[in-house]
Amino acid sequence: MAWVTWRQHRSQLVVGLGLLVALAAAAFGTHLPIQAAYHRDALSDCLPPTARSGCDIIVRHFQSEFESWVAALRGLAVLPALAGLFVGAPLLSRELEHGTHRFAWTQGVTRRRWLLSKTALLAGATIVAGAAASAIVMWWRGPFDTLEGRMAPSGFDVEGLVVPAYALFALAIGVLAGLVYRRTVAAMTATLVAFASTRFLVLKYLRPHFLAPLHSIVSATDSAGRGGDWVLSDVLVDAGGRGITAGREDLAVLHAQQAGIDPHTYLVTLGWKRVISYQPAGRFWTFQAIEASLFVALAVGVVLTMLWLVRRTPR
Amino acid sequence: MTPPLHARGLGKRFRREWLLRDCTLTIPEGAVVGLAGPNAAGKSTLLSLAAGLLAPSEGSIEVLGRDPMREPSVLAEVGFVAQGAPLYRSFTVAETIEFARRTNSRWDKELVADMPTRLASRTKVGALSAGERARLALALALGKRPRLVLLDEPFAGLDPLAGREFLQLLMDGVAETAATVVIASHVIADIERVCDHIVLLTGGGVRLAGDVEELLESHRILMGPRRPLGPIRGVSSIVRERHSGRQLTLLVRRDGPIHDPSWTVERVGLEELLLAYMAPERMPESVPRERLPLRWHG
Repeated sequence: MAWVTWRQHRSQLVVGLGLLVALAAAAFGTHLPIQAAYHRDALSDCLPPTARSGCDIIVRHFQSEFESWVAALRGLAVLPALAGLFVGAPLLSRELEHGTHRFAWTQGVTRRRWLLSKTALLAGATIVAGAAASAIVMWWRGPFDTLEGRMAPSGFDVEGLVVPAYALFALAIGVLAGLVYRRTVAAMTATLVAFASTRFLVLKYLRPHFLAPLHSIVSATDSAGRGGDWVLSDVLVDAGGRGITAGREDLAVLHAQQAGIDPHTYLVTLGWKRVISYQPAGRFWTFQAIEASLFVALAVGVVLTMLWLVRRTPR
Repeated sequence: MTPPLHARGLGKRFRREWLLRDCTLTIPEGAVVGLAGPNAAGKSTLLSLAAGLLAPSEGSIEVLGRDPMREPSVLAEVGFVAQGAPLYRSFTVAETIEFARRTNSRWDKELVADMPTRLASRTKVGALSAGERARLALALALGKRPRLVLLDEPFAGLDPLAGREFLQLLMDGVAETAATVVIASHVIADIERVCDHIVLLTGGGVRLAGDVEELLESHRILMGPRRPLGPIRGVSSIVRERHSGRQLTLLVRRDGPIHDPSWTVERVGLEELLLAYMAPERMPESVPRERLPLRWHG
């Protein structure tokens, strides 16, 4: 089956390798000015916990200089979906569309073994490619990770273990969609929808609660950021612990100004506090392991469903 | 000895429509069976069920004594060519043969190499003519050294010469492997020369099945002047009656010699026999249609 898989998917493999090479070249090219700026600004002296004066300006300057690049990097979150769209979805739908499954599934190899071998080999290649892409991104984001952390989705989603796990899941969903929809375009669409919605649901509803978030209560006037942590919510509460709406806050500030008091002082005298709930930067690898396991488990579930369905799927 | 193909009460429903229903048949070892019938008679459905591509909705089918759905390993001994001989268009001929070799434990390299398919091994399958592709698909099916060969409409889209070449390759392969063969075709002339058995499907059921020689021997054409029909000695049933002017032509099944001198008795050809059984509107032995009672609504 290895020869069969290679023969049928070699073009996808070549395209995949090409994409990785292009990604590596782009990463290397764009990293040169970043590195130069990093050394020019002597940023390594400004890393926390150093509190050298002027550091915040240097860091802010550095961040704003490459802001658009870092934002563009977030787009790489779509990379894993490609495995599902262009490798997974056509795997079965192309056979069913052209009727070649009537040839492939009537040979001595049973169709379950055929499907399992092909999926396993392609899954191996997908994991390797995902890991390579993840390694490239981690290397590129290195300076930014030390400054702003990678616990927030912008870094978390494109680094570490989750990238190959997402790709594996996308691949499995793609194969299943091909089996269910039997048309390549329909299967690709379904793959995209299923992949994106699963990623969204996990990010929005599961990941914030993998471990109980920490809370930090600071003075209402403290405007400091939370370094490399992933801030889930940041709200003002009154002395009784009730949340304060933006309207009430505006009113209080207006009131202070009219009374000629410094608004900051006024808020503190009211007993208002800022409550920040967050996932600390130190949990990065724990969260990566949890989310990657979740997606691998989903992928395994999808593959099992597929193996069960393919036996029953007619024609 | 288990028969190569045995169906019992076999039925396949797609949505609400029965493609095949209550199909019971046994195909004897070593036979070359023509699976005849009009379009949509259930021929492809029967072959797909035998090849394990479809699961029966009711009844059972056994191929070489095994259920092809539960024990797909039996497919290693079945050579199946689906309608249109689907193969990977981007593969070369050599790669297609390699594919079959890699996916079959029973693979006879010499047999395939010796087969006179006359195909250049570096040609892409997509560039082959319909006849060439059919020959390649057949060579692959035979390369498994199958005990049963299933061919679904192999002559569709083939010109007469390509059809003859295909048949030649098939008969050589059958001589070599001693396989049982089932050929589905709606054109009887295509299979007439090679089949020693016939299974006729109409409307999703078996209408007629048996040895070709026996079937031809047990049927006769009677011609005579038009007259009211009574029982005729030696005739067990009338398959078809046809009036033309004052002439009456009967196709009958007989259970003994017909000596009545008022009839001219002739042998029947296979094609005519099968066509007579296919045409449902000319079947006098079927139950006479009940007159529909008129009803007033409203």
